[in-house]
Amino acid sequence: MAAFINTYGFLITSMVLAAALGLSLYLPLMAGQLSLASPGFYALGGYIAAVMSTRLFPSTDGTYPLPLVLLEMLVAAVASGVLALIVGLPALRLRGIYLALATIAFVEILRVLSLNLPILGGAVGIFGIPQPFKSQVEYLWIALPLLLLAMFFVYRLENIRMGRAFVAIREDELAADAVGINPTYAKVLAFTLGAILAGVVGAVSAHFLNTWNARQGTFDASVNYLAFVLIGGSRTFVGPVVGGMALTALPELLRAAAGIDGLPSWLALFLREGRLILFGLLIAIGTVFFPQGLITPNLLRRWFGRRRATKSPPLPDKHVTQE
Amino acid sequence: MNPTLLAQQILNGLAIGSVYAIFALGYTLVFSILRIINFSHGAVFTLGAYFTYLLTGSAINPNGQLARLFGGLFGQPALPLKLPFILALLGGAALAGLMGIVIERLAFRPLRERGADPLLALVSSLGVAVALVNLIQYFFGAELYSYPANPFGALPAAINFSGEGGPPIIVRTIQVIIFGVSMVLVVLLTLFINRTKTGKALRAVSEDPITSSLLGIDTDRLILVTFFLSSFLGGIAGALIGLSVSIAGPYFGIAFGLKGLAVIILGGLGDIPGAVLGGLVIGLGEAFVPAQYVAYKDAVAFALLFIVLLARPQGLLGRALVQKV
Repeated sequence: MAAFINTYGFLITSMVLAAALGLSLYLPLMAGQLSLASPGFYALGGYIAAVMSTRLFPSTDGTYPLPLVLLEMLVAAVASGVLALIVGLPALRLRGIYLALATIAFVEILRVLSLNLPILGGAVGIFGIPQPFKSQVEYLWIALPLLLLAMFFVYRLENIRMGRAFVAIREDELAADAVGINPTYAKVLAFTLGAILAGVVGAVSAHFLNTWNARQGTFDASVNYLAFVLIGGSRTFVGPVVGGMALTALPELLRAAAGIDGLPSWLALFLREGRLILFGLLIAIGTVFFPQGLITPNLLRRWFGRRRATKSPPLPDKHVTQE
Repeated sequence: MNPTLLAQQILNGLAIGSVYAIFALGYTLVFSILRIINFSHGAVFTLGAYFTYLLTGSAINPNGQLARLFGGLFGQPALPLKLPFILALLGGAALAGLMGIVIERLAFRPLRERGADPLLALVSSLGVAVALVNLIQYFFGAELYSYPANPFGALPAAINFSGEGGPPIIVRTIQVIIFGVSMVLVVLLTLFINRTKTGKALRAVSEDPITSSLLGIDTDRLILVTFFLSSFLGGIAGALIGLSVSIAGPYFGIAFGLKGLAVIILGGLGDIPGAVLGGLVIGLGEAFVPAQYVAYKDAVAFALLFIVLLARPQGLLGRALVQKV
């Protein structure tokens, strides 16, 4: 068990963080807004944590105090939220592919800025970010509660008025507007919530990865997070969590598969060197065969059917007796 | 800014802008038929550059698996043929075009047949792009490749026009060729769309796919034609950029692919003259970034994209979309 944790500690924590990032993209998607801006806020949060921990609170020797990490997460959340409001208010007038492209542009602009601002360390980035923990698996102490909180939050959100407003906008924005939902308010809120989550995850990741540079917030990352949501399933919050975990583990699984004894040497070589080829193909094929994603609300209902069924209110007796 | 410098910048801007234009035309063609952005277009751009490189008979780096394969087959890490550059360019683009057809069959058609959400095509094409880029890395290695020096034989590499008291205007032969090839392609494509029967059918499908298929147009075949043309243009763009700077590794199409998105938005999605105009505007815009801000050059296209989206989402030449209820 100890050996397993040593080998896969990094992967397990990465999976948990990826699941949270999937959720950050799922939030705007709940309101029907395809935003690929998450990597931008993720990078922002990471830079905030990196700059604060290396410049503002120069490392005393030994471990970095945990409360300061929480403070960085808070600052990252506020900064991401404010930036999301500034970007979201004008950008969310756009729909569908136009919004996706605008958010890609936003991520790219942030990336070029971060490459060129001297305080952010240029192309090399910021390294030697102090560690609050002794090993990478211990980051689960932050990452796991963060993910569980985010999941609980989204789960509750799906059952309250504002969450239903999100879904109404996803289904038909004009109709939602007509029944008195303020679409702009709801869309900007969904976008901002996603941004805050991405920023907080970024702050944790900067410590976790020990180094932070402009490669964290790229188009590739946008693509990955989108794949988390769409492969996992975009109709329930369980989807992005499963998708994020599965797709983060997949390249490692392929790498592990290359190590199996008795494989022909060309196949082992291909699995080792060409595993990203398979990764890409699996995304393409997965999209074709699971257009709803792996986890759908129907599937959840089948698995947890009884619990869900008792939750729907019983029909009022009135209708039955008034024949 | 003195006039010779101005002339030089305009020249540089037009050369790169014309490549942006033909590359973006590839996006536009597919979008006008399917209302989908083919995110694997950037990878096809890269493929075109590598195919052209292969056809010129140049050697593969030993880090690429293809070097071993060719070594076994031909006894050398290169194809046993040396096409003149212009033929290699067309051949490479044609191969990229065929790859476009494969991509259509693999990533787009199955989704279309299942009537899936158009956003999913975005993801599946991204998956194909990831696979293609890594296939290139697998077969060619991550090295930088340069085309054989002096691909145009006797032509001089550049001509200097002496400026009036300033630095000379340098016209690189490659720039002229790039601009010339791109403009010829734009004219040919426009003629094809406007003057041929297939072009007419393409316009009909882009106007209304259901009605046109009811009228007996073979939509499926047209989509294949569209993907071939689109990827042909993307492949040529890749080879031309590879010629102008060099192939900077398997990922060099990604940044270009994103910039192409800025171009089509600027011009208006699905609009052919718009894509050309957008390409030239972004090319010129980048050429005029002052030297001390050159690090921010890559942000120009995206800043323009962002502003245009907010101010005029239909693009410079596009018509406003009417929301149908």
